Order: sequence, then structure tokens, then C-alpha cells
Amino acid sequence: MEALHIIGEEHQSLAAILHAIRFMLKEIAAGKLEADLKLFQAMVHYLDAYAEKRHHPKEDLLFRRLPQRAAEGAEALAKLGLQHAAAPQRMAALELGLANYVADNSRFDDFARAFDAYAEFYREHMMLEEDVVLPLLRSHLTADDWTELDAAFRAEMSAKSGKDGKEEDFSALFSRLVDCAPAPIGFGPRPFAN
Amino acid sequence: MSGKVLVVKDLSVAYGKVEAVSKISLEVGEGKIVTVIGPNGAGKTTTLSAIMGLLPSTGQVAFDGSIEQVPEVERMVVRGMNLVPEKRELFGTMTIEDNLLLGAFQRNRHGHRDHLQTMEEVYALFPRLKERRLQQAGTMSGGERQMLAVGRALMAKPKLLMLDEPSLGLAPLIVREIFRIISELRRRGVSILLVEQNARAALQVADYAYVLENGAVKMQGEAEMLRNDPRVIESYLGLASKHQEMLAT
Repeated sequence: MEALHIIGEEHQSLAAILHAIRFMLKEIAAGKLEADLKLFQAMVHYLDAYAEKRHHPKEDLLFRRLPQRAAEGAEALAKLGLQHAAAPQRMAALELGLANYVADNSRFDDFARAFDAYAEFYREHMMLEEDVVLPLLRSHLTADDWTELDAAFRAEMSAKSGKDGKEEDFSALFSRLVDCAPAPIGFGPRPFAN
Repeated sequence: MSGKVLVVKDLSVAYGKVEAVSKISLEVGEGKIVTVIGPNGAGKTTTLSAIMGLLPSTGQVAFDGSIEQVPEVERMVVRGMNLVPEKRELFGTMTIEDNLLLGAFQRNRHGHRDHLQTMEEVYALFPRLKERRLQQAGTMSGGERQMLAVGRALMAKPKLLMLDEPSLGLAPLIVREIFRIISELRRRGVSILLVEQNARAALQVADYAYVLENGAVKMQGEAEMLRNDPRVIESYLGLASKHQEMLAT
């Protein structure tokens, strides 16, 4: 069940990034932190290039097996399928909010609202996966299913294809985000440089 | 005991008449991460402290092939066991570099003169410590203090590194980074005994796990098996509620 391990790792990373953005937005709103727009852009890029473009396709591979083994979970799978397919619109809304803020810092609320909607979506999305679908996968998939899925996940993990097909080391990017994010959520603050 | 850095048999610890840990047995294989998870008050820290010789205990502790009837902390450090305590216990008015050098004290006293090279290895693992090496440890953030505490332990070149709640009080972003570093230490051959309340993070990184409740081992097995065990999931992993907490306003 290495595939489940990878999904669990990725959920923790994504939740940590969302937590960090939320913390920084609250601190900025309270006048306690100066915004690092490049850090926000890098975190939003991580959400797009990693969560939406790398993580969700792996989950699709996994979720596709369930209807082959059990009738349960059909409604949840249908909902998750629609949510995964709506990634471009979801990211566009978040990126637009950030772009407006970068262009005009009086539009902070645009980004804060867009982020709140995105984070709330993600919270419910992960809960649906972890409360409903992953337990069903654990119960119904066979050992052969897991062998095949683990191999498929390993192949995907080694592909390293990032946004627009470029190679990208997401582990290194994550470490840079931690390094630049302000204490107490990170080891910074330090300016994020591209 | 081939391939085992640590073998603990029937370890018991009592505070007065109250038995905090009762006949615990556990093992740590070479180059492995073994985690002990369990709720607050289960006896996790007490277990580490007894293995290290910080608390009197009964039972048997075999470390690196030799049995210690009565573990003594100085002897355990010299033999290559090191503990990163929950409270980090750094010297706040000393510089980061001096705190690191203290970690090599016992090794230095026994004639090893490789502390500068070891410090460079620690700096390579934690570049932030090198940047701030002349600053007082008391000026560091929580995440940086945890880095320094681990770095100081590594200065002793331990065969077994014991980590007591390394994620305690740290934000999710830093917790992920700390656990990435723990994985990196395993890749470098360090054997690790990891005590954690954050079972989700611990089971993701560990090879083998023990579940401690009320001072006794209730479950044990490969970490992958426990990660997918419905009892562990229900009692310790918190599943979606964990994300709910992390994403809550």
C-alpha cells in the first residue's frame, strides 16, 4: 500500500502549505507581517503544480479501482471526479486573486477571499477522501491491485514532470518555502527569490 | 541480537508505588526508524528516559551488543546513544556553535578530535545553523531550536538517536521539514527511536512502530501495517479531523 503512503504524505504537505498561507494572511491583515508576494506566488505555484497536476492524477488512478471491486462509494467518487476535473477553474480563481493583490496591494481582500474559498474546498475535499474513499480502498482492493498501483505511483513519482512538463524538484521547493516562511510557521522570514 | 542497535526487555519504571511503564520490550534495528506512539501520559517519555539511564528502571537494556543492567547516562552517551529531549534543553545565552560543541564534549573527552568535521556535516544538514552560528541560541525560533537540538545530538556521532516529541509545538510546515530531515538521517545510516504524539507524521516516516497505552505495549508491527489498521486509524490518526485542525482559522 505504498500508494496510500504517498497520498498521505502529499495530503500532509498540502495541508501544511494551506495552513502557512492562512497564517500569513491573518498576520498581514493584523498589520504584524509584511507580505512577501514572491513567497505567496511560490506557494500558489506549489498548490497548482503539485496538488492539482501531480497529486490528483495519482488519486484518479487509485480511485478508478474502487468501482471494479465494490459498489460502495459511488457518490463520493463521482463528486471527487468532478472536483478534480474543476482544478483549472479553481486555480484560476486563486491565481486571479493573487494577481490582483500583486498588482495593487489595496486588493489584499481579493486574495484573502479567493484563498479562503480554496482552503475550505480543500478541507472538505480531503475529508471526503480520507473519511469515505480511502477506507473503502483499504477494505476492497486486492493485493494485486496494490502491487499494480504501487508500481504506477512509483513511476509517476520518478517522472518529476512539473508544471508545463518542466522538471521540478518539489521536495527542494518545499524546503525553500519552509526556509522563507516567517516564524513560527517557518524558519524565516527571508525574502523568497525565484 | 545481530542487526539490532537496541534491544529492551521487560523494562519497568515506577514513580513511587505507581508503575508508569510495565514490562516493555522493544527493538531498534540498524539504520531503522522505530517509533513509539500513544496518547499523552502513556509512558513514552518515561521509556526513553529509562533507556537513556535518566530514570531508575528494572529489566534489561542491550545497546550495540552489550547488556546494560543499570543504564547510566554518561556511559550511554559515550557508547553512542543520544537523546533529544522534548524541551530541547539548549543553553540560551550561549551561541549556536557553542551549543553544538557541547554535543561533542564527551566524544572529545575520550580522545576524538573530529568535532570540526562533524560540525561541518551538521551545518550541511542544517545550513540555517551555520548562517546563525554566532548568535545566541535564545534568539532562535521554535523550529530552529529543534534543528539545533538535533544538530547538537549529532555532534556526538550517535549510533542511536532518540527523539522525544520532535514535532511538539511546531507548525505543520516545520513538522514536515523536521520529518524530512529524520528520513535523511536514516538514509545516512543513523538508527532512530522516535517518540511522538503526532502518530500520523511518525507512522509516515517509521519502519516499525509500537503503540503504548497506560505504560504497556498494546500493539506493534511494521509501520505500514499500523498505518492501515482500523484501530490505529480510529484512535491515533485522526484522519480528516487532523486536516480540519490544520486548516481551521
